[in-house]
Amino acid sequence: MKKVTNMTELFEKLSDLKAVFSYGQKIIPVLQSLIDFMRDTVPLLETVNNSIAESTRQIPKASHHISDVTSATELATTEILDIVDIISGEIGKLEDNLAAEKAKLENRKNVFEKIKAKLEPTAENKTLIEEYESYNESLEAHEVISQILQNTKNNVFNITLSLQVQDITSQQLAAVNHLIENVQDKLASLILDLETSDFQNENVQDSDDIKIIAPENSTFNPDAKYDKSTTNQDIADSLVNSAKASQDEIDKLFS
Amino acid sequence: MSIKFLIVDDSVTMRRIVANSLQNLGYKEYVEASDGKDALLKLSEDDSINFVITDWNMPNISGLELTKAIRGDSSLSKIPILMVTTRGVKEDILEALNAKVNNYVVKPFTPQILKEKIDQIVSTL
Repeated sequence: MKKVTNMTELFEKLSDLKAVFSYGQKIIPVLQSLIDFMRDTVPLLETVNNSIAESTRQIPKASHHISDVTSATELATTEILDIVDIISGEIGKLEDNLAAEKAKLENRKNVFEKIKAKLEPTAENKTLIEEYESYNESLEAHEVISQILQNTKNNVFNITLSLQVQDITSQQLAAVNHLIENVQDKLASLILDLETSDFQNENVQDSDDIKIIAPENSTFNPDAKYDKSTTNQDIADSLVNSAKASQDEIDKLFS
Repeated sequence: MSIKFLIVDDSVTMRRIVANSLQNLGYKEYVEASDGKDALLKLSEDDSINFVITDWNMPNISGLELTKAIRGDSSLSKIPILMVTTRGVKEDILEALNAKVNNYVVKPFTPQILKEKIDQIVSTL
């Protein structure tokens, strides 16, 4: 009786073994596909690695180009400011000359009034006086020229003020440079991971992680912008002038 | 009262723009410094400087640190300071006020704004 039981168990185990083999036959093609996929993926990962390495090598060049742009714009701005200074100086000389001419004209007019008072009021003298006065320069013309010069001077000065854009864009470029350096660091660490261990997917950072965070005491403001609206100045004015800038609030913010 | 300005900015362009603006407003006397460290040196060398116009973001010593250094030095603490910067958010402005700047101008500024802020400070001297 015991022998019959043993044989039954044996048949059951053989049946299980058969099932395992049969399952194995089904899984082998899947495993083969997986191996083929891995074989294809390795060169692809190698290409990605090389590409990242090449990009990383290019980054300092890009960063250097940005610094060159900043230097070039600063140089060009200095040249513009030099020319603006020359123009302003020449306008200043013109204004001085015009003022001197105006003073002479006023003196000449005063002297002429005295001469006119001394002349006999004959018809001939009257005609001569009228003719002289028609040739005489008017003070109104000087006023017009003076006003044109003042407007030109203001416009030239506005050019100077618009050149603040150079400082602001140079801060924006410095911020981009800082971002590029951060990206380079991340890529360099990614290359290290690819070279020294299995590909770690979690090392690929989300794009949200790549944002410009200015280091402590940075020489640039990452949020610098050439915004001619007075919104920010209005905020500054209200904080400076109103009770919002009370010492309590400031202390609360920095406590 | 004769006013001698110290213009502190790491940007050559901005120093010239501020200097031109001051000349346009009739102020002829000024010296320049390229950062906070240079500014402190100029202040130690020239005791006729009685008005500081400073940027915020600069190498070595920032405009904020310069302000704190001036306010912490009994021989300089009364010098008025005008901060001229691109930093326009409320927290930054409050931080500058906490450091005891006298007034605050956000770049890009207009000649009217600069004149108004300088006049406000000068009227209290």
